[in-house]
Amino acid sequence: MTQNNFSQKLYPAFRESIIILAVALFIAVVFNSFRSNNIPLFGFSSAALIKEQQAKIPSITLSEAHDLYLNNKVIFIDARDPFSFEEGHIAGAINIYPDEASLQAASLKIKVDQGFSFITYCDGPQCPLSKETAYALILRGIPTVKIFVNGWSIWSKAGYPISKGKK
Amino acid sequence: MKFKNFPRHFIPFFALICRLTLAIIFFYAGIEKIVHPGDFAVAIYNYQLLPDFAINLLAIFLPCLEVIIALSLVSDIYTRGAALFSALLFLTFATALTINLVRGLDISCGCFGASSGNISWFYLARDLSLFCISVFILIYDCGWRYFFV
Repeated sequence: MTQNNFSQKLYPAFRESIIILAVALFIAVVFNSFRSNNIPLFGFSSAALIKEQQAKIPSITLSEAHDLYLNNKVIFIDARDPFSFEEGHIAGAINIYPDEASLQAASLKIKVDQGFSFITYCDGPQCPLSKETAYALILRGIPTVKIFVNGWSIWSKAGYPISKGKK
Repeated sequence: MKFKNFPRHFIPFFALICRLTLAIIFFYAGIEKIVHPGDFAVAIYNYQLLPDFAINLLAIFLPCLEVIIALSLVSDIYTRGAALFSALLFLTFATALTINLVRGLDISCGCFGASSGNISWFYLARDLSLFCISVFILIYDCGWRYFFV
């Protein structure tokens, strides 16, 4: 096929594709405005969606968390910043700030295959970090994540094992 | 109506088969997404490539575009335009898939609405194959007139 022949097909194709684009856009907007389960053209809110999806992640109580800790089939994930982690964390916990979830996902998937589940926690009843880390891990294919709300305060006040430093 | 050139010439005949196959794929994909626009908007959001204001617009527009491409391919009206758009769409899908596979996100493909499986290298290979088929149609398709008098 010569270059000239290909060009002869390509230029009409561009013109036709613009017509298809315009027709599709017109029909899409009109159809959406008349249908019963329509969605607003520019109304998508990622913040609302994240909040809704985070609310679906199951949470866990102190006694449940402690039982799992004793069974040795759970990994605690401290979602706070590294400085808070070094000052004190649940014994055996690892530190994964929400932004670092993508870096750690591959090694955690190996643990999933070995039968481990995960509990994320941070400090304070309103702290969003544990939910954000849990959500980031679930997005990366780690399904067995639960949230221990206000985990650090509750755990340390109960007198359960804690560690200091980087490990 | 009489047949002519049917199916003696392999390339136009193969282009016809490709065109009809692509039309079926686009029609099915488009209808699945049109039925649940909210779910498709979430699937687009999960790719984390677009700003919020563009997500619903694309969720409304893309399924409609897919159905119109399918109708265009079947009816042989603006077939070259449809094939060109199809090639561009599959190239875009392949790019989006590659970015998120490299990122390590384990999200729904959204290729055929909410019921699609999670993204994988297989889906990337499939999109690139469909891209090649689209280019083949763009270059070699001769339309219905080639086969019918």
